[in-house]
Amino acid sequence: MLVYALVAGVLFGLYFSLVGIGLNLVFGVMRIVNLAHGDFLMLGAFVAFGVVTLAGLDPLLAVPVAFVVFVLVGVALYKILVPRLQGSLNPEMLSIILFFGLSQVIQAITTIFFGTSERSIPSSALGSIFTTARVKLFGGNADDTGGPIEFFGQSFPASWVTAAATSLVAIAFVYLYLYRTRLGTLTRAVMSRRDEALATGIDVDRISAAAFGIGLGLAAVAGVFAPFMFGSVTPAFGADATVTSFAVVVLGSLGNPLGTALGGVVYGICYMLVQTYLSSWADLLPYVLLIFILLLRPSGLLGRQVRVA
Amino acid sequence: MLGRTIAAFTLGMTVALPAIAADAPTEIKIGTLYASSGRYASISMPVHSGLKLWIEQKNAEGGVYVKAFDKKIPIKLVAYDDQSNTATASSLYNQLITQDKVDILVADSGSVLTAPAVAIARDHKMFLFNQTGTGASFFSKDNPYIALMADPVSTIWPKPIADFLIHDGPALGIKKVAILYSTNEFTGTQATAVRKFIKDSGAPLEIVYDQGIPTETTNYTVMINNIRKTQPDAVIHLGYAPNDIALLRNIGEVGVKFKMLFSIYAGLETELLEKNVGAKGLEHVFTYVPPTDLDYPVNFGMTMAQYRAAWNKTYPDGKVEFGFNAVAGYTTALVIEKSLSVATSLDQLELHRAVFSLSGELKTLDGTFGLDEMGGQIGELTPLGQIALKDGHLKFVEIYPHDANNSKPVYPRP
Repeated sequence: MLVYALVAGVLFGLYFSLVGIGLNLVFGVMRIVNLAHGDFLMLGAFVAFGVVTLAGLDPLLAVPVAFVVFVLVGVALYKILVPRLQGSLNPEMLSIILFFGLSQVIQAITTIFFGTSERSIPSSALGSIFTTARVKLFGGNADDTGGPIEFFGQSFPASWVTAAATSLVAIAFVYLYLYRTRLGTLTRAVMSRRDEALATGIDVDRISAAAFGIGLGLAAVAGVFAPFMFGSVTPAFGADATVTSFAVVVLGSLGNPLGTALGGVVYGICYMLVQTYLSSWADLLPYVLLIFILLLRPSGLLGRQVRVA
Repeated sequence: MLGRTIAAFTLGMTVALPAIAADAPTEIKIGTLYASSGRYASISMPVHSGLKLWIEQKNAEGGVYVKAFDKKIPIKLVAYDDQSNTATASSLYNQLITQDKVDILVADSGSVLTAPAVAIARDHKMFLFNQTGTGASFFSKDNPYIALMADPVSTIWPKPIADFLIHDGPALGIKKVAILYSTNEFTGTQATAVRKFIKDSGAPLEIVYDQGIPTETTNYTVMINNIRKTQPDAVIHLGYAPNDIALLRNIGEVGVKFKMLFSIYAGLETELLEKNVGAKGLEHVFTYVPPTDLDYPVNFGMTMAQYRAAWNKTYPDGKVEFGFNAVAGYTTALVIEKSLSVATSLDQLELHRAVFSLSGELKTLDGTFGLDEMGGQIGELTPLGQIALKDGHLKFVEIYPHDANNSKPVYPRP
């Protein structure tokens, strides 16, 4: 049971890294808390539903679609909302209220269009594009899809492995963006000292808009896998996802997107261990971890001082 | 003498008639809550939609007949959205009673959102039309302000599944039972009942796994692995619809086939489960056979076929699924209608008397309405069934209790 919980924890945790990394990128650059983060994740799930039900395609194809669409949505939202917010006396506090309102609006509109019931995508649909390619190239049975994958003699859902692999790609993408591109270097400069970056002539607004867009894009990509990781999704799913994201982000390090990768894995392993040995308490875990990390190491596991007094 | 009598009668009528007309309200206020979002939306919205459908029908006919005023009176629905939040629900139940001053108080669907209403209704001496809150702690001999409308109280609801395990299980080779339940009033009570029935029976059954998990659980993979390690002959899962969806999907994803798997909502909300799990994922699952499949004879209100037709006409978009909860909302409405037709006033204890007078007499599309002395619903015990997949369509096969229409269960699951 221990081995199963550990492997499941790593797979689940990698997915949670993807869930939280966008939230942390936005906070790191703009110092605002996007309480609608989980709602963009939920919208990503609905993009996946659209790709499967309307186009009959593999939900994996929703990954690039959701990313591009929500990067553009993020940039547009940034232009509409954030400059006014940054101009206020207390942008961090006001951002909580503003994005809480945005979260409610997104939830209400989604409910109007899609109803309140749970929605899922058949597990066999995820990765069907590879099955089709395999059958065309090597022959075999087209129905042989969506089955479990074995590690250490134990079966795990194929969707978990796909989600974990996508998360690793996304984390690598964020790393390359931050450390191998000029825009990333400027982003890190803004994350480090926003005022000094502004003083040196960096177009902070452009950097922030890009980070906000990428943050929302990553949330939407995580949303594509939500129906597989959580069984089903409803328009109200976002609130819980935001809480979990926040726990993962604080655990890793608030303001350090790559710390979120470690935070996610630690969260995933802890969650699976608690489910195995103390299952009645599993849902308290995000809050317990938040309290512990804030008491013992407020800057997070990979933390450095991110706030400037 | 005759002249005096006529004069007195005329005088009496002159005084009394305006008084009766003045006392009759212009509308009967029914106050309720619903959850348009959150964990309980999928069981709340069908119940609420069933109630609304009846109100629209009655108001189109000029209102509901109220014996206390000997006339039809239009219904006004006062409904608030509790968003599946118990704290919000508490505040809104208070508002319905103290601010809106509703004549009839109807709880939201499910034990979790009914729980706050029980104490509030009792404190305000308001009779609570409890639609589907089956938790055992809601009912007590010293509380006359509650009655359960639609489904059996959770202390007896799981009796058919327990009896099946006790009486038929050993012959089928069922010796080890696993119980996985969500820790809330509804499924927690059912788990306690199953455990008690099995232990009291003395049957050669061993409970090898007995674990409660938070109702908000969305991932069961680790628990499935833990249950598999105990090699159970039967797995009883007691959870809400989202729990059943997640469990059944996870079972399919990890390729585990339990010999017998019981789930509540595979039967109660089959449309919803089929949309999320697929027909194949529900095949051979044991569950409660819902009233939608039983077609009970009625002596009041629409038959199941008529109600389904009315539902499809009123809600053609299919955003709210038709299942047990849709029937429960309409059943509550029928109990309200019938109670108003026999109650001599709108006093809350008179409503209690009227509702209890229907026990054993009222037969709706949900079966016989029957109450125990505490207000728990005992009219119909939902039979145990197994879902079969025939020609691509799901069908219920009744398994227990035994009668002429029953079939043998498919055990172990192929």
